[in-house]
Amino acid sequence: MSDTQWPRYEVFQQETPDRPHRHAGSVHAPDAEIALLNGRDVFVRRPECSSLWVAPAGAISRATAEEITGGALEMDSTTGEAVDYLVFAKLDARGMLTHLGQVRATSKVQALQEAARACGPQTPFVLWVVPAAQLTRSEPDQAEPLFAPALDKPYRDQAFYHIQTALRRLRQEAGD
Amino acid sequence: MNPGLRASLADVLLALADDELILAHRDSEWTGHAPILEEDIAFANIALDELGHAGLWYRLVADLRGEDAERYPDRLVFHRPAGAFRNVRLVEQPKGDWAFTVLRQFLFDSAEQVRLKALADHPQASVAHTAAKILTEERYHLRHLQAWVTRLALGTPESGRRMQAALDQLWPLARQLFQPLSGEAILVEAGAWPASSALATQWQAAAMDFLIECGLTIPGQILPDESGRQIHSAHLEPLLSEMQSVARLEPQGEW
Amino acid sequence: MTEDAGRLAAFDARIAAGEKIEPGDWMPDEYRRQLIRMISQHAHSEVVGMLPEGGWITMAPSLRRKLVLLAKVQDEAGHGQYLYHAAETLGVSREEMLEALLQGKAKYSSIFNYPATSWADMGVIGWFVDGAAILNQTMLARCSYGPYARAMIRICAEESFHYKQGMEIVLTLSQGTPAQRTMVQDAVRRWWWPTLMMFGPHDAESPNTPTLVRWGIKTRTNDELRQEFVNQTVPDAHTMGLSLPDPELRFDAASGNWRFGEIDWDEFWRVVHGDGPCNRERLEARRAAHDDGLWVRQALEAYAART
Repeated sequence: MSDTQWPRYEVFQQETPDRPHRHAGSVHAPDAEIALLNGRDVFVRRPECSSLWVAPAGAISRATAEEITGGALEMDSTTGEAVDYLVFAKLDARGMLTHLGQVRATSKVQALQEAARACGPQTPFVLWVVPAAQLTRSEPDQAEPLFAPALDKPYRDQAFYHIQTALRRLRQEAGD
Repeated sequence: MNPGLRASLADVLLALADDELILAHRDSEWTGHAPILEEDIAFANIALDELGHAGLWYRLVADLRGEDAERYPDRLVFHRPAGAFRNVRLVEQPKGDWAFTVLRQFLFDSAEQVRLKALADHPQASVAHTAAKILTEERYHLRHLQAWVTRLALGTPESGRRMQAALDQLWPLARQLFQPLSGEAILVEAGAWPASSALATQWQAAAMDFLIECGLTIPGQILPDESGRQIHSAHLEPLLSEMQSVARLEPQGEW
Repeated sequence: MTEDAGRLAAFDARIAAGEKIEPGDWMPDEYRRQLIRMISQHAHSEVVGMLPEGGWITMAPSLRRKLVLLAKVQDEAGHGQYLYHAAETLGVSREEMLEALLQGKAKYSSIFNYPATSWADMGVIGWFVDGAAILNQTMLARCSYGPYARAMIRICAEESFHYKQGMEIVLTLSQGTPAQRTMVQDAVRRWWWPTLMMFGPHDAESPNTPTLVRWGIKTRTNDELRQEFVNQTVPDAHTMGLSLPDPELRFDAASGNWRFGEIDWDEFWRVVHGDGPCNRERLEARRAAHDDGLWVRQALEAYAART
């Protein structure tokens, strides 16, 4: 058996229920359950989070603006069963990949084409699509044990430390 | 609550606090040495949670004993000798290999869940509230540990072998978790503590079911070591010696 | 294979316009190469950096200090994680990066090759080393490569807590008992020069800098950052009654800078090249963790393969 660092899973984080999920980074995990747990431990050490999604990096199809406008996404004539794909796009120069919605398609390439079309007149800087079946979501009824504990660790917040006050007092005592 | 009951309640909560503290200490020894980076992060989270729990219980002990909640916990942790600690011998054991650590954590967390659920409607609001708070974090721990115990027990022949070896060593020690705590009797009678023996049955049944499903063999019935929580293995003194070494350089000092 | 001059010009224009380069975008081989080197070194530094501090968690002298130090070391693992991810987006695998580290072929910040010999070192490391890191990381948060910039933004937000918890320890000890004051003064004496070395060689001896500046990876020079660190740290040291081990340290009113002495470049290069006090020990610890963890990694893969 070879020695690996396990496959990569991309992690998407939703801060509050009224905002879309955004790409946070990735974790290495042997399977989806461990990926979800690792995703929580790596990315939800500080509030806020209301939902976490993970998907194997290998299940994600990606396209850059150059590929979309340059016609690199060729017409795909494969037919197959139409399935749902989740779409993530980076729409502004300084933004992060954000969940936009879903499209239905019979192949990865068709999904990218549909997604690019769904972005309207603006070409996204980066586009990702992943089959909905390959995405694992944190369970809503698990939100409390998954996400609430981060709120109980104020010592991780730099605002918990009053350094400037202490230094100011020392300077005053020294008569600076 | 009358003074006698208060004193007994403080004693049993001290035992819970000591368990969390010593286990957290052992867990923290893995930082920087875990099998993969994600587990350094995950296990540090578990250790942080356990330390936090210890702090919560120690504060309650301070309140019950009329001591300063800000200072008393550190006095308990850093200035008591080994003989005054009331943790179980399970948590003192050195961290061992990853199988030992994971299984020990599973046994402890699954036992804690049973006890915390029973404490969640304790007549003393502060106890009930603390138990409920800790339970939220413990639900996550149990999910994490169950996932790991399953995967290690059923992964490869080597991981299975290591898990069985760990269980053989840990199962007899785990029984001490539900031996009646000293001071428990009058509390149980007053409805101020869940009887350990009842919890023992509940925990053992669930734990055994789970471990057997993971393909592990529960070690045969052996005479349990009934010596109480005031008796410690040879591991506690060196552990405390290290833990208390810096604080004792300046016993009255601020750190 | 020569790179298309047109593509290079377009790339330079994107950088100049402040655009972020994302994984999948065309980029010059040299840009990719420099970033892989920088980011993986940065990742290794975070992970190795867990070792000097991790060893003191068991001896932290109060419950609060124990909690805080454990949280800090956990953060460092998290930072390593974010950075390995950023490097992976450039096409290098974590297996390759770890292999290079464990074989002694990859570099990491030399500061972690120094031993942490007292509790006071925990305070001084937060104050000096994280203080220096914040300056570097704030600059990198604006860098042109998207995943690296985003990792740095996350890291910067967390690093401030590291710096402050360190300062809190130093403040407590410097205003404490004579033994505590001696302990922290000694730690300051040992960590000052290695921290100044963290900023790297003088600008004139820094071969990578012009390329990194051109491509929006580095926007401030080694010497600039080093001077800023000195300016921000010296007054606080004096406020706390601590002295720094540099007889040439003095304030130059004209420039507003604290002038300081020359770094021992012999020591710098010795430690960079593997002959520091803890280089061997650090790598051995990482190798042991890796080797001891093999059966675990394989077990989880075997389980995943069956289900």
